[in-house]
Amino acid sequence: MSATATHPESSRAARGGSGSAKPRRVYKRRLSPAILFMAPSAIILGAFVFWPILQSLYYSLFNWTIGAVDQQWVGFGNYIELFHDPHFWNALSVTLIFTVSTVVVVIIIGFLVALLLLRENLITRIVRSIFFFPTIVSLVSIGLVWKFLLDPSIGLVGGLTQLLGITPITWLQSTHLALPSVIFVAIWRNVGFAMVLFVAGLKGVPAERYEAARLDGANNRQLTAFVTLPSIRPTLLFTTLILTIQSFQVFDLVYVMTGGGPLFVTDSLVNELYREGFVNFRTGYASAISWVLFAIIMIISALQLRLFRYNDVD
Amino acid sequence: MKSKIAIGIGAIGMMLAMAACSGSPSNSGSDGGKVDLTVWTGFTGGDRPGYAEIVKDFNASHPKIQVTMTVQPWDTIQQKLPSAWLTGQGPDLATPSSDPNAVAQYVKTNSVLPLTNTGSSNTQINVDKLAPGTVTEFTYNKKLYAVPANFATLSLYYNKKAFAAAGISGPPTTVAEFAADAKKLTIDGGQTQFGLALADNQTIQMWPILQWLEGGDIVNAKNCSVVQSAAGQKSLKTWSDMVVNDKIAPVGLTGAEADSLFSAGKAAMEMNGPWAAPGFKDAGIDLGIATIPVGVNGKVTLGSTAPLSISAKTKYPAQAQEFLAYWTSKSVQQKFSLSTGFPPLRTDLSDDAKLKADPVVSVFAAQVPDSRLYLPGVPNATQVDADGYVPLIGQITRGQSVAGSTASIGATINGLTGCKS
Repeated sequence: MSATATHPESSRAARGGSGSAKPRRVYKRRLSPAILFMAPSAIILGAFVFWPILQSLYYSLFNWTIGAVDQQWVGFGNYIELFHDPHFWNALSVTLIFTVSTVVVVIIIGFLVALLLLRENLITRIVRSIFFFPTIVSLVSIGLVWKFLLDPSIGLVGGLTQLLGITPITWLQSTHLALPSVIFVAIWRNVGFAMVLFVAGLKGVPAERYEAARLDGANNRQLTAFVTLPSIRPTLLFTTLILTIQSFQVFDLVYVMTGGGPLFVTDSLVNELYREGFVNFRTGYASAISWVLFAIIMIISALQLRLFRYNDVD
Repeated sequence: MKSKIAIGIGAIGMMLAMAACSGSPSNSGSDGGKVDLTVWTGFTGGDRPGYAEIVKDFNASHPKIQVTMTVQPWDTIQQKLPSAWLTGQGPDLATPSSDPNAVAQYVKTNSVLPLTNTGSSNTQINVDKLAPGTVTEFTYNKKLYAVPANFATLSLYYNKKAFAAAGISGPPTTVAEFAADAKKLTIDGGQTQFGLALADNQTIQMWPILQWLEGGDIVNAKNCSVVQSAAGQKSLKTWSDMVVNDKIAPVGLTGAEADSLFSAGKAAMEMNGPWAAPGFKDAGIDLGIATIPVGVNGKVTLGSTAPLSISAKTKYPAQAQEFLAYWTSKSVQQKFSLSTGFPPLRTDLSDDAKLKADPVVSVFAAQVPDSRLYLPGVPNATQVDADGYVPLIGQITRGQSVAGSTASIGATINGLTGCKS
């Protein structure tokens, strides 16, 4: 009891030690196990995440071809070529359209569905599960199924439209409809994910806030705008951020459904990266694309954090 | 504390060592004088059992060399093989791509072994007996880097029932009949039936055959684009007009979609290789197979071959080459042709009585002398296809002007091939 009551400084002085020696020893004893616990994860992350990231930056400065004896140094040549490449600008534009459309629509529909299914009963639980189901299915499977459904000659959608006397629509072969079709499938797949997050967020909003607002005369629209939305700001931030990053990295769905076609109208940045890296074997150029994509995602994520006032304390 | 740190570091070291040991995907090795070879191939289609049979027979007849073949999609091989071979962890042998031009990339990166065990004995690769076009295709700087794993020609599959319903007595024999039949077999603008299932992307190319039949081409001997020439434009316009105006074929089909269309009885004809026959038969199509109709300059069709190469880092180059010698040997190729319908890749089997008697093989084999490879030896052929030819067909079948599209794509092709003139 007396030991705990003694002031640390006086205790240190009584033992004749220097003023800073003991705290450093304590710090060391506590740090070592921490490092050991972190080491496996740090090594795995370092070897399989951070090192490849840095390596790709290095590759992007060369005309790098896997296995070539001489790798030609080009400095920022790949980046300069990238900015003169019409395929890159097309892919960037496709990716931006895909991301903005998908994220905005998924957030809006996900939020509305969450509001509708907020009440707890058997039916809402079943409907929530139905909405969430596509999220747990792989994008490749989803892409294959939708590709088959949308086939104008042998697909279900084409068959139904033909029964109604309408000429089957070439959803994925038309240069006007291919991208909207892929966006639609991405929205269909992600609405359940957003809905589940919003349901969790909405359940965390204290009932007293609504009560207080109602006492102040707020109507339903005002409750949503001034109580619900500000209260679920962290959920909104998380959902938007994750969906944005996912959408910028879209590859599987495009690759399976359209292969980037027709005429490159669905060619996303990662699809182009894949083509340059694994079909044309231009690893350096593909690495440059990945770094530009990384920079874009970082800037947009920072803007989103700013927009949703990440650092603000409620 | 020091001992705890030491234990911790030791544990991490062991983890990394275990991870490193388990990293190799290849199981090749030597056990008591027996050599194990691994092969990656992309033969996932109806011809797969034929290749498996070759490996099985080889293992039975070569107790000291055992081969394990892993079949995976071409895309997967394309992603994994370059780095796997570079790091020495890949298979001893592989078919790097269904595109024969892909070998050039592996030669550039020193990933493939030049084949030296050539000659006429049973354990040697008999280069003189292989289809000449294939040997030229896989020879770089006077060294052979692959053997053909197969050689296929494209023939005309047709639905006999659809032909009978349209009152057409037999398959077309000339390009003019081909065009007329395609129109006649198109019902309700394609809503009931298309005359032709014509794929233009993610497939073995079908459009070059139409161009050749009409006297056109893609590049000349100097690797310069000729799609924009008068003959090139005419060859493209004839068929793109039929797609756009007469709706003889859907626009923008992939190879798999074209096959599905024909299998579903929604298209009356399709140009395809022997690998497609089992699927069409299983789908219950009243199937006929005929040679490609004769073009304005004579007979012509597309030839296709998949390269089979050896890793430059294999520990067993002699045994791997012996396997290739076996694969390309006369008796093995005869058996393979009979089981898969593929034409033989050896010239000394062209008059083989058994193959001639087979109704499927005989059709595909008869066209070998008239077959042409797609963009053989053309620099950056893969990009010429992806960035040039596929978009060109996509544009003109969607109604864009042939003159305008060929002019712009011609310039793209010339940029990729390095054409100077």
